[in-house]
Amino acid sequence: MSYLSTTDFTEDQPFVDRFERMLRGDLDLSWLDAPRERVTCRPENARRGLTFRDLDVGSYGFTDMPELIRENRSFAPRGAAMPEGLPDLQAEVNRKSEVWAYNVEGYYEEAMTRQWNATTDIPWAELQSVELPEDIGKAYAQLLTFLTEVEMIATDVPAKWMGRLNADFFEVKNFIATQAMDEARHAEIFRKRALSTGWGLMRASAQNEFNLKFLRDADSFAEASLALHLQAEGMVLTLFRFSEYISPTEGDKKLFRLVMQDEARHVGYGMQHLKWVLDHFPERREAIHHHLDEAENFVFGGGYATEVLEPFIILSGKGLKKENIAEGVRITNAFQLKQADEYFERLAKCGLPERRERSRLWKMIDLRKQTMAA
Amino acid sequence: MAYYAEKNFFEDQQLIELVTNILSGNLTLEWYTAEGGRVRARPSDLRRGLTYEDCNLGPYGYDAIPEFVRNRYSMAARGSVLVSKLPDLGYTINRRSDVWSDNVVALYEEAKARRWAPAVDVPWAELTAGDSVREAAMAQLCTFLEEVALVAMEMPSKWVFSINQEFLELKSFLCAQMIDEARHVEAWRKRALTSGHGLGRASVSAEQALKELLSAETYPEASLGTNLLLGSFVLAMCRAIAALAETRADRLLATLAMQDVARSVAYGVGHMRYHLAHQPGKAVALAEYLDRTEHVVLGIAGSPEFLEPVVILAAGSVDRDRLAAGSRFARRWYTSAVEEYFERAAAVGLPRRERSRLPRLDV
Repeated sequence: MSYLSTTDFTEDQPFVDRFERMLRGDLDLSWLDAPRERVTCRPENARRGLTFRDLDVGSYGFTDMPELIRENRSFAPRGAAMPEGLPDLQAEVNRKSEVWAYNVEGYYEEAMTRQWNATTDIPWAELQSVELPEDIGKAYAQLLTFLTEVEMIATDVPAKWMGRLNADFFEVKNFIATQAMDEARHAEIFRKRALSTGWGLMRASAQNEFNLKFLRDADSFAEASLALHLQAEGMVLTLFRFSEYISPTEGDKKLFRLVMQDEARHVGYGMQHLKWVLDHFPERREAIHHHLDEAENFVFGGGYATEVLEPFIILSGKGLKKENIAEGVRITNAFQLKQADEYFERLAKCGLPERRERSRLWKMIDLRKQTMAA
Repeated sequence: MAYYAEKNFFEDQQLIELVTNILSGNLTLEWYTAEGGRVRARPSDLRRGLTYEDCNLGPYGYDAIPEFVRNRYSMAARGSVLVSKLPDLGYTINRRSDVWSDNVVALYEEAKARRWAPAVDVPWAELTAGDSVREAAMAQLCTFLEEVALVAMEMPSKWVFSINQEFLELKSFLCAQMIDEARHVEAWRKRALTSGHGLGRASVSAEQALKELLSAETYPEASLGTNLLLGSFVLAMCRAIAALAETRADRLLATLAMQDVARSVAYGVGHMRYHLAHQPGKAVALAEYLDRTEHVVLGIAGSPEFLEPVVILAAGSVDRDRLAAGSRFARRWYTSAVEEYFERAAAVGLPRRERSRLPRLDV
């Protein structure tokens, strides 16, 4: 049986009596006397409108929020008066540094103002008029199939955690909601583009799905965010940038530019979250390394996903002929090295510069660089 | 960590050879012959763009989703070619009629097309803070609505993780619901904090009621309770605020929120209709769910943290004569909210007029 309210309101005669009194104009008005901090928030910059940052005032703000949320275990909005009897919503994450990120309120506001629409913001008619050659069409449809497959993990994982976070972290919850929508839109746009190429969807990727399961089954929000926002989405961000570069049409380039701005926001949150964790919860450092050890193992195992690597080579080289493949391999090598460099650079910027030394992935990449140079 | 890779790939010689071979130009092209079915989706109306309805084609379409999804537990895109060893991602909601609604695709498209941003789409500068009891009532009302929106945001987030990926359009709609409610959390909070009064008091009765709704044991119960039952009342609340608004900003805020909530209600109605059309035997259990759960809307709509501010906003002051007029507005509001809920419930095949224990008022 699920949770039952402490009272059945229709059978709670004092409650019903009070309800009827209110509807006769007999008001108690005790809420008017509830102790509160009186503030008047105004937009600091009229062009940006009224932002969460403008609301960062006293007990209502996020700056003064304590590291441990001990008092509020209900849905009472942060700063509201909390009467006796509010239920315990069983939040599992009540420590600010497990979820918070520098500028999370900014990422949220940006997400809200930069929502776009996969149905109308892509020049579908223009794309329709372009007939892709078979090798390019199939390679592109396969790349899009992979992207369709992986995007919704970044909805499911944060959504799984939303309800476990204390309601005082509502800026983070709101950010998670925007991310869920962003990823739904990404799954939509990649699916629609695949189905408009004329080739339909192609092969699912078992190797990448193992990685999705790893992301899904993280033990803590901090681990989930580390592997999802920073590692996985960071690598996908580089993939999007190169995909824009190798896209077969201008309409496709626009598509990747749009998804890139969303993805950059998610990576931004991941980085600023890790930075916050390392600044405020330094004892987490070792656990982070352990989690990255396995996350990078999955990344390296992604080499088995020929259904991702090979279409990328074909699209980069613009065909299947020998010279195309050679050019494609050259670009793909550059992409993969860039992807790894950016990943380790992000970690270093977050305060984890020693990751390069500890990482087996870095060693493999380094080895590859040496081989290529030779 | 709860899930580990099947091996240490850094020591997997076979993998290193495979990648080295491919990067030497020797592609396997194993995927090249895989085809889920050749189709070409086109916008049926260029002004509307390429909708999910335009992509409802053959094996890729949502019409092709079977009632029971038995053999797909991964995130493989619907219609793509499956390979062996795809992992089980642990979905526990795999029956189409447990989640689907015939209007869900259109509602998702509408949600994207009607997006708004509280920071910039509400003319905040036009609002003037003041010591008036009216502003205090507005601050209390918005505190209450922020509480409600937090729960409404968590309901879809709680379930989306468990719903099979085959129901992509439905999951996408749940994401749209999440962002809609995040917007409401934001908008109501911002409105309260521009009042000059700060936030008001959290509501014990409303939160007890909301926790009961959020704790529904099955998705159909959760959807019925949150989208149809609670949604009907929240929709009526937004309409009341729009009707009582004295400023363009408040009217706009309430009407924008109303159009979002209306989508959730529309999905709730469509979902229940679909669910009961395919699982008519569930009508008894869902009617019993409403028998025991319906009382929560009295805990919410009858809470002093909601009802008293409404009376004051309708009265314009706390003068006894004016309060009488305000209370008449509140009586009419409650009566029509209950009536609209009964009509929606009847429309989906769950007649409540005779069974419901919600108080009826003479207006």
